[in-house]
Amino acid sequence: MGVSTVQSAAVFGLRVELVNVEADVGNGLPAFHMVGYLSSEVKEAGERVRTAIRNSGLEFPAKKTVINLSPATIRKRGAAFDLPIAIAILTSLGTVAQKDTKGLLILGELGLDGTVHKVPGVLPVVMEAKKQGICRCMIPLENEQEARLVDGMEVTGVQTLKEAFEWIKGTKKRRLSQQKKKGMEVSKGKVYGEERECAEEKPDFQDICGQSAVKRAVEVAVAGGHNLLMVGPPGSGKTMIAKRIPTILPPLTLEESLEITKIYSIVGQIDGQEPLIRTRPFRSVHHTVTKTALTGGGLIPSPGEITLAHGGVLFLDELPEFRKPVLEVLRQPLEERKIWISRTHGTYLFPANFMLVCAMNPCPCGEFGSGNCTCTPGQVRGYLGKLSQPFLDRMDLCVEAPKVTYAALKGKMSGRKTAERKGETSAQIRQRVCAAREIQNRRFSDSGTGFNAMMSIREVEQYCKLGDKEEALIQMAYERLGLTARSYHKILKVARTIADLAGSEKIESMHLAEAIGYRSFDQEYRGGIL
Amino acid sequence: MNHTARAFEYWFASIPGLTDEKKILLRSCMKSGEAIYYIEETELGRMKFLNETDRNTIMQEQKKRDPKEEWARVTDSGIWMSLSFEETYPARLSCISDKPYALYGKGHLPKDKEPSAAIVGARACTAYGEECARWFAKELVKNGIQIISGMARGIDGSAQRGALTGGGTTYAVLGNGVDICYPREHIGLYTDILAHGGGILSEQPPETKPFAWNFPRRNRIISALSDVVLVMEAKEKSGSLITADLALEQGKDVYALPGPVGSPLSRGCHFLIRQGAGILISPEELCLDLGIVEKEEKRGKKTETQKVLETKEDLVYSSFGVSPKSVGQIVEEIELPPSEIIGILTMLEMKGYIREKAKNYYVRCGEGARVCGE
Repeated sequence: MGVSTVQSAAVFGLRVELVNVEADVGNGLPAFHMVGYLSSEVKEAGERVRTAIRNSGLEFPAKKTVINLSPATIRKRGAAFDLPIAIAILTSLGTVAQKDTKGLLILGELGLDGTVHKVPGVLPVVMEAKKQGICRCMIPLENEQEARLVDGMEVTGVQTLKEAFEWIKGTKKRRLSQQKKKGMEVSKGKVYGEERECAEEKPDFQDICGQSAVKRAVEVAVAGGHNLLMVGPPGSGKTMIAKRIPTILPPLTLEESLEITKIYSIVGQIDGQEPLIRTRPFRSVHHTVTKTALTGGGLIPSPGEITLAHGGVLFLDELPEFRKPVLEVLRQPLEERKIWISRTHGTYLFPANFMLVCAMNPCPCGEFGSGNCTCTPGQVRGYLGKLSQPFLDRMDLCVEAPKVTYAALKGKMSGRKTAERKGETSAQIRQRVCAAREIQNRRFSDSGTGFNAMMSIREVEQYCKLGDKEEALIQMAYERLGLTARSYHKILKVARTIADLAGSEKIESMHLAEAIGYRSFDQEYRGGIL
Repeated sequence: MNHTARAFEYWFASIPGLTDEKKILLRSCMKSGEAIYYIEETELGRMKFLNETDRNTIMQEQKKRDPKEEWARVTDSGIWMSLSFEETYPARLSCISDKPYALYGKGHLPKDKEPSAAIVGARACTAYGEECARWFAKELVKNGIQIISGMARGIDGSAQRGALTGGGTTYAVLGNGVDICYPREHIGLYTDILAHGGGILSEQPPETKPFAWNFPRRNRIISALSDVVLVMEAKEKSGSLITADLALEQGKDVYALPGPVGSPLSRGCHFLIRQGAGILISPEELCLDLGIVEKEEKRGKKTETQKVLETKEDLVYSSFGVSPKSVGQIVEEIELPPSEIIGILTMLEMKGYIREKAKNYYVRCGEGARVCGE
């Protein structure tokens, strides 16, 4: 009998804090007290733990029990403290020796029968524990694979409280030895996330009929990580194209993969068997989404869609249908590629380095520009007025997806060879994208910049040098097409990507002209002159 | 005329519900606006051309409004007034039978000595009509012609934009008060017209909202202020045809732009042509018709503006017809990679051959049409 301590941890946003679970069982009136700035789900742990201990065939004497979770200044949430509390009590009772729990991180939720249920956020917790020098952990069996992603950590997955107790006491054979960790190569920067072969049919760019101009724009956007806006009438395949963007995204490196897995671990969206996320996320958000759902939020903020799209694509279909304030909150994360969420008890930083892909109709009827539009100028203005100019300015590429003609639908383009008719496969496009990314990786190897879209103004000056002919071209465009300083830099970045795709060191005038063609639409289009 | 006297003139001119004809008569009887303001009901009763309602209106206006305060407000916003018997009143306008008693304006009035042309047409026009309006206006102003229009959406606005691009002056005759910009999105055009020495004119007193019934009437002013009326696109029954009819009544020449047969927006123009309106072939031809430019001058100009296109650019350019085309359509038609086509389109746009109407929808410019034809 006496005070015992067990190591556990809590997640705050993406940050992990190690928590000491202390228990003291002593004489006095039988009672169960829990202190340490606890939220109600942690307080409820008392009933669960008591019942679970008794139902596991262990003794729980009628004594005064006090549990403290320290540090007491941070608010603890979640059900992951059930198991550590139970072990701490058992240690205090002397059922388990204190030395056996030393340097052991414990996480897990308990059922009344003593079953250990899975908990969210295991990967970030274990990674942090490793950093702090803890090299053993006991977690729910369902989270075992996830924890094993951390190299050099001794992981034990348990299914019941009894099993946990026996394992600590050493009476139970260690699971660890049975499931020797699969050797996972951890080498920095190595391309890791190649997908497993899938039998089922995957979407492919080959499925898209026509729309070659849009496909080209998508390729450029993905190659440089640029934001993309597709404008076109309903049924022209904008959504279909967007759904195929993940198939041409460059593969994940291990670091990226772990970072994304960490985020998904916190929101509890991880497959227990194959925990590591190997494909870049593609988040399609419905237009009824709230600001908080997009940016992340809550009393203790949890990641929002923009963070879940980190390293991948955030797709907003029917862009003008989104409420204006919702779109406006994207402006700052689009620039900074992360989001700060402030609460009274702290500020939380979430990464939000995503590629924004948007789709919209040009007007309520969708025919604007083609001459068959039946909307009044007021309607068009009202529709496009939902998008602010600063938001549109953040779209690097803007491309129109026209109605698909019958010829294109049937693949009967005049004078084309059979191979060309079908269109390229995602694999072919991806190859070019990867080559362009390779060039960018080499270019930005010393800086924090990941790809062309992230270039700072100084880097634009350094890497987007223009020849005399090109200089004259951009000057003419600036004056004749009414560009702004922001759109000027965007055009240069896109031109750099187009040159990278072409494998050209220098930005040629053709690259520049193409980039200018992708510029975002301006005030006049927004109902100025119909 | 001093400020106070002018205020009373303004008070009288802006009385609603009294026709221009009656205003002119009453003003010539009473000799000043001030006299009308202080007129007794009995004296007013002696004016046989006024009926009961008119008399009541005038009596009410006397009580209701404060001329000095109103006039101060109007002059503060830079608006002037020109009355039909004054010297400033446009000579062209004083010739017509139903001339407005007063003309309010911002900026300048069209110069009587210089030629002027009205460019009118549908609000919901096609890209073709819009481009031609732009092109004609741009070329006409280069020959010193003033462009008169109504600053409406569609043809009117495009023509006035074109005139400004060509470095000329243009005048907008509105159906609402000159202090109101209608349609609202033409605020840029409104300020540019004034900044380039043109004018915003209206027979409606300032602060009059854009009521639909005022618009057909202002067309008579548009045609009266011009020497020639060009109808770019008009449906069979439309305001533009009203303008054309009024112009004919006023003895002005009417020209119509031919368009594709089958386009409802060109039908009105084709009817005008059948009735004997002139055909718009090109701005040069028009200038020749009007006797503004001599034949030799025209020849010299022609070779000067000839532009040369690269082979690929020419290939892309020649795929354009009268209606706008999207990048996707062009990609399907021409055997070039999309990336290259997008680049070529940008080059063509910057060279002024095509214009981006909506995102990635391009249309052939008027000037371009000529170059290609020659």
